[in-house]
Amino acid sequence: MTPGLMATTPGGLLLVLAVVVPVIGILALWLVRWRAIEWVAIATLAINLVVSLATLQAVRASDASLVYLVGGWMPPLGLALRADGIAAVMMVMTGAIVAVTALYARGQFGFDPHGPERRRPMVFWTMLLAITGALNLIFVGEDLFNLYVALELLTFAAVPLVSLDGSRDTLAAALRYLVFALAGSVLYLLGVAVVYGAYGTLDLVVLAEMRGADGALLLAIALMTAGLIAKTALFPLHLWLPPAHAGAPAAASAILSALVVKGSFFLILGLWFDLLPPGLGAIGANGLGMLGAGAVIVGSVLALRQERLKLLVAYSTVAQIGYLFLVFPLATGSEAASPFASLAWTGGVLQLLAHAFAKAAMFMAAGLVYEAIGHDRIAGFKGLGRIAPITVLTMTLASVSLMGLPPSGGFSAKWLMLSAALGEGAWWWAVVILAGGLLAAGYVFRILVPAFSTPEAPAERKYPVAPVRECAALVLAVIAILIGFLPLAPWPLLAIGRIAQVSP
Amino acid sequence: MNVLLPLAALFPLALFALSAFSPWVRQRLARLLWLAPLPGLVAALFAIDGAVTLPGPLGLALDFPGAMLLGAAALIWLAAGIAAPAFWREKLETLPYQSWWLLTMTGSLAVFMAANLVTFYLTFSLVSLAGYGLVTRDGGAAAFRAGRVYFTLAVVGEAFLLTAFVLLAVGTPSGSMAIPDVVAALPASPSRDAALVFLILGLGSKMGLVPLHVWMPPTYSAAPFPAAAVLSGAAVKAGVIGLVRFLPFSAALPGWGEALAMVGFVSAFFGVAVGLTQRNPKAVLAYSSISQMGFIAAVAGMALAAGRLAAPSELAFYALHHVFAKGGLFLALAAIATTGPRHLRPILWPAIVVALGIAGLPLTGGALAKLAVKDALGSGLAGTLGSLSAAASTILMLHFITRARTIAASDDRAEAPLAIRGAWWIAAAAALLLPWLLFPSVAGSIGKVLEVKAIFDLAWPMVLGGVAFLGWSRLSRRPELPPGDVLIVLRPAATSVRGLTDRIARAEAWITTWPVAGTLLLLLAIGFAGAMVAAR
Repeated sequence: MTPGLMATTPGGLLLVLAVVVPVIGILALWLVRWRAIEWVAIATLAINLVVSLATLQAVRASDASLVYLVGGWMPPLGLALRADGIAAVMMVMTGAIVAVTALYARGQFGFDPHGPERRRPMVFWTMLLAITGALNLIFVGEDLFNLYVALELLTFAAVPLVSLDGSRDTLAAALRYLVFALAGSVLYLLGVAVVYGAYGTLDLVVLAEMRGADGALLLAIALMTAGLIAKTALFPLHLWLPPAHAGAPAAASAILSALVVKGSFFLILGLWFDLLPPGLGAIGANGLGMLGAGAVIVGSVLALRQERLKLLVAYSTVAQIGYLFLVFPLATGSEAASPFASLAWTGGVLQLLAHAFAKAAMFMAAGLVYEAIGHDRIAGFKGLGRIAPITVLTMTLASVSLMGLPPSGGFSAKWLMLSAALGEGAWWWAVVILAGGLLAAGYVFRILVPAFSTPEAPAERKYPVAPVRECAALVLAVIAILIGFLPLAPWPLLAIGRIAQVSP
Repeated sequence: MNVLLPLAALFPLALFALSAFSPWVRQRLARLLWLAPLPGLVAALFAIDGAVTLPGPLGLALDFPGAMLLGAAALIWLAAGIAAPAFWREKLETLPYQSWWLLTMTGSLAVFMAANLVTFYLTFSLVSLAGYGLVTRDGGAAAFRAGRVYFTLAVVGEAFLLTAFVLLAVGTPSGSMAIPDVVAALPASPSRDAALVFLILGLGSKMGLVPLHVWMPPTYSAAPFPAAAVLSGAAVKAGVIGLVRFLPFSAALPGWGEALAMVGFVSAFFGVAVGLTQRNPKAVLAYSSISQMGFIAAVAGMALAAGRLAAPSELAFYALHHVFAKGGLFLALAAIATTGPRHLRPILWPAIVVALGIAGLPLTGGALAKLAVKDALGSGLAGTLGSLSAAASTILMLHFITRARTIAASDDRAEAPLAIRGAWWIAAAAALLLPWLLFPSVAGSIGKVLEVKAIFDLAWPMVLGGVAFLGWSRLSRRPELPPGDVLIVLRPAATSVRGLTDRIARAEAWITTWPVAGTLLLLLAIGFAGAMVAAR
């Protein structure tokens, strides 16, 4: 056992804070008067953002993972929290998006004493904080069962957000989501049981040292992966995503599409690149890649056919999740010594980041469009540019990233993944990436062309929208663009503290 | 002076941003759009050999070939910007065209200054995609149909180009993205052949090389005259600058060069042949562009085959003349369409000279353009084909002149607004005269132009073409094809694509039913487990 790895590092307490701060926030929500709920939540999320930024800084400064041993007990007896480079990046992404979403959502979930659902503000803000805490736990968790708990917390916090308005359709969508996510959980838990039965430990670092070409481990990884792709809504298991993400309020859709599906994806990354013994994943990785390719094509084609903006954006999420899974064949297919330093790996992480920011911005913009003109039928978007210029600008910038035009995070991701595919001679993945880009250009243009055109009669804004909320969405879209200004090369940051490098 | 480069690129963009957010600016700007390309024009004159690194992956640099095209493009944007408000008149306020105009201009000018792969791809995409708004500017079913074809070819072309660029970058050991570096590494790159194929496909779709030309005739037919002027004059040259920048002229690649030359000559003659079947003078000009861009590709191919270092300047010089000639002729059509027979002469006569200049009429700018690329074509088969393509262009241009007369206004005393006529005269003067100024820096002594042999070489194809046109115009039954020729063959394909997406949607609806999705989840779990355990 590597001694350096298994001790609390300076700054390890930040990981505890990342998990505990949202929990304290939730408790505080119940103690304050309802007018103060928003402010308590926003303050909590601001602190959370600072904690995650500090974590990233600490990881960069020490060039190693942050570790915290809960109660000072080493695994396999105790629990460890660990943040490597990629986890820290994910935490910052989550912190930033959740905080900006909170600004966007402020005032959206007021108490309506006569409405069907009077607890909406309480539900929304509690669930938002719970999602934040659950995601942080997923990013820093080390123990497969601990991760299971985080995953369940994530699901149970996400489901109520879908049915926040209490309508029949959204309740049905939420139920669909819940049942399918539970089916995924069962498979994951089954995998955890198999691991425990075979190894007697659930700690990822310990397991990575004990692993061998063991049938039980492979079986467990396969089961957990199947469960997790159901929760990630990878094609063909995406049935729950479009109704759930399109039906939720805009602020909730932004969180669900940008962050929640990434939680389970992050776990798959961990299983495949940390736990799976090298050289055994080729068939499975290609299988995941093929499902991803199916998602890219089918999701994009369906996005092209939608009449309503929110459904279009939701199907775009199905497609963009597909790109994420191309990482598996591309990063394992190369002969490079360390997959974590490879183009595909950075490309995949960039895709995750860029999609999170762009999609959150897109859903927020969709909500603003709905408020501005009273509907989200694409056919009725003429003149939108005049009525809501900032929102149309937000949609444009987010679209630039989604369709992969430079400079944007989406372009960088596409560029790096294409470089990996063509560099390895795996041109079939390149064809998928390019075809997805073409289709994305198509569905994005379907929104933007009417929005930029001028109607016969001057359109009028139905309802006023707070500029702060428009700017919140714009900020996220701008970040999606700014990611494209980072160097187009593998990031050393993402390789910091990967388990496979520590224990070859 | 380096600051002129970002200024040239960002000034139209800044005007776009201002007019998007301020109705006050928007209203005033509508008539002042001709100002937007001025920094580009100044940069072309004073910032040659400048280079600027911008934040992130972006960078601008200007060399002599780029400056020629930048200046020419800026000038045709300026002329069209003068003509456009007069052309749209009262529709200006209700149907503003500024956003698309300014965005397209930004890409169109900046592409000549792109210093690296990412910047080139960005600007190339911008000019292509924003051009959609100009094509569909006047609405109408035909415009949107044309717009769909335009957009499809534009994004497909970009995908080709992106593939080429990734291959270029992957094949560059230093990891540099600067265009000179990747081009220097290209001849020795393991992915050289694939990179060249995708490069030619990507650039060819922008230049309208056969068979990727199908978007050009319907687009120019549907686009309003000022929009067609900038699209045909300036925007298409994004493809030419691509050939200039990315073909490795320092290394002779005979196989690739001759292949490109063949593709180019096919387009050169195909464009003329189908252009003769067109009645709409805008479509005739579109086919002439296909032919001319094919000729440029042929020259580029022969230069690549010979490893000709002077090729970039020569190609840019030829394209510079085409910017003014083709963009100008669309402006001439705008003037002719609103002018009655009485005032037609001062518009039509320059049009005849400029049109025949495209075919190489001696002593015009077009003749200088032909002379500048003469050495690159050589005296063999390619040289002969070049002369024959000039003869073919003569036929097409004579056909264009007869078609252009037919759209003149019926009101005898009608006269186009001075802004439109003036814009046309600016472009015509530039097409006829500017090449004289630049010829010495590109192809040496001006005396070459006046030699009897040079004039004879240019004149005999035109006489041949003139005679052929007389024969052609006497035919009682001439074939007619719709703009976009093979598009009609592709229409059923478009329908079957729609059928395919219907089927995908139905399949998706089936997959997303509960029993199917649940079964799939189980099957995937079993499948993964089986595959991974078996792979051990």
